[in-house]
Amino acid sequence: MADASRDVTVPRRVWADEDVHRRELVRIFKTCWQFVAHESEIPEPGDYVTRRIGRDSVIVTRDETGQVRVLLNTCRHRGVPLCRADRGNTSHFRCSYHGWTYANTGELRGVTFQRDVYGKGGIDKSQLGLFQPAQVDSIYGLVFATWDPEAPSLADYLGPMRWYLHTVFGKFDHGLEVVGPPVRTMVRANWKAEGENLSGDGYHTFVTHQSAVELGLFATQHDLAEMAEVTGTRFTGRTVHCGNGHTMRIQRMPLQVKAPAYFGYPKEMWDEFDRNLSEAQREAQSCLSVGHGSVFPNMSFLENFKTNVDKKGDHARYIRITLRYPMGPAMTEQLWFLLQPRHADADWLRLSRLAYLRTNGPAGMFEVDDTENFVGITEAAAGTVAADLPVVLEGGLHHPPTPEEAGWPGDVADGDRTEKTIRAFHGRWQELMA
Amino acid sequence: MTTATQRPTPAPPQVQAEAALFLAVEAELIDDRRYAEWLDVVTDDFTYTVPVPVTPDNPFAPHHDPEALLLDESKDSIRHLWFRRLEADMHEFAWGENPPPQLRHFVTNVRAYLTGDPDELAVRSNVLVVGRRQSDQPKYLSAERFDTLRRGAAGLLLARRHAVLDQTVIDFPQPRVLL
Repeated sequence: MADASRDVTVPRRVWADEDVHRRELVRIFKTCWQFVAHESEIPEPGDYVTRRIGRDSVIVTRDETGQVRVLLNTCRHRGVPLCRADRGNTSHFRCSYHGWTYANTGELRGVTFQRDVYGKGGIDKSQLGLFQPAQVDSIYGLVFATWDPEAPSLADYLGPMRWYLHTVFGKFDHGLEVVGPPVRTMVRANWKAEGENLSGDGYHTFVTHQSAVELGLFATQHDLAEMAEVTGTRFTGRTVHCGNGHTMRIQRMPLQVKAPAYFGYPKEMWDEFDRNLSEAQREAQSCLSVGHGSVFPNMSFLENFKTNVDKKGDHARYIRITLRYPMGPAMTEQLWFLLQPRHADADWLRLSRLAYLRTNGPAGMFEVDDTENFVGITEAAAGTVAADLPVVLEGGLHHPPTPEEAGWPGDVADGDRTEKTIRAFHGRWQELMA
Repeated sequence: MTTATQRPTPAPPQVQAEAALFLAVEAELIDDRRYAEWLDVVTDDFTYTVPVPVTPDNPFAPHHDPEALLLDESKDSIRHLWFRRLEADMHEFAWGENPPPQLRHFVTNVRAYLTGDPDELAVRSNVLVVGRRQSDQPKYLSAERFDTLRRGAAGLLLARRHAVLDQTVIDFPQPRVLL
């Protein structure tokens, strides 16, 4: 497949412009499917978390029949939010203003002093349930919603991305669960700055994260030699555009193995991965250094291998989801989720958590350095002259397409020091904003 | 809700003063970026944890999840992954901390309590940390700290710090901070 986004050009005003931001809220955040929660966050009937879709507050809850519901967090009467907490459990939501009460299906059940206020016939409660997205669906426990009744199904929206999501989220016999509530941070950067980076920027790693490399957090030659036969010093990768702006980057360690090797996971888990992945997916996961990508527009995931995070010689892997809310042209709220496999060994779970927190967690070393770039891009783009300059996005245009025999779906290229996924991200953004 | 738990015993005034002075000097070492000296006032088994803040619906639940952490560090991890990269040979590439963020700790409400171990004090304190990134206006983090101070041959040392944030959405320049 040809690189459909090869000619995309991005003026820097998209990072800091108030009008662009307002249009994004309508053209992108009111139409696209967006990640809202993981099902493990609301395991029991009545459990809820509050989230956002664009700037709108929503309640994500499991109703009394077990169905996951997404409800706009504002009373249909006069607009007061029903939930004020980040999470909790309740079968009903009662408004603090006039007491209208809703079941956690969203249905309006009770109107206070109804006869007094609305007369003998009352008010038609059936028309006044909590407003809900046009579609809600989930895949591997990841719950998505869209306001757009015309949007394709979630499966069609994701397309080939489902294959890659399976490699990350679908390989565990007992699934994954989110550990604790997500950390929430407010960053003075445009939401697209981190978004485009996480789409698959393998170019910045050895510069932005040079100190992490020097401190041994990326597998050193010594670490590699402990794992398998080392084939070189260069980590190789592939980048993928799955359509609709969904992208993936997969980087492999230079190791020779006889059978798929899932370094960083406990050995006793490897059999289930073999069983749950296809041959091509096993290859995508074997000797994985890092796999990360984005579901357009604002959800990214990262499956990362880190070394020497607690003791010398430690090898650990973790899965992270981040979600970005556009709070202004130069302000983003980011949510950080750590996901861990259920029923895994306690010592490994601890090491996986430490590896996450100390590197790519909200207070991790990588994020300190990355964030500086994202804030900087946004600040510089506020300049009148800078706003008109284009971003240079030609990296990796010469990278060859991956042969179809590899069996990786989507538009795949060999090479991950590239701007391929960033062009795809902006290409999709421009289609929607046009 | 009141429960019939036994109230902890405050340490005598002289020990209170000693604990407060220790915490003030310890904060001075961080604010002055005298990291090698700071490592000298913490024990080898030192741990530093900050739980994830959250707004609960239950009025009796804390504003954090005790099971989930935002920071989980040891003396070694702070030495190798925080301070090492700020040394002269590496600082150029510690992009997010170059220029270094300036911190200022205001430590108040120090309460030292006796524990079952005669060599250990349980010390609670409130802290306001002011952080400045580059030429930006400063940002603030407020927290309560639950410390363990241990008495050894060299006097008091910091053996454990658990700090609970007063902010659910963290807007500090970077949350990688010693509270």
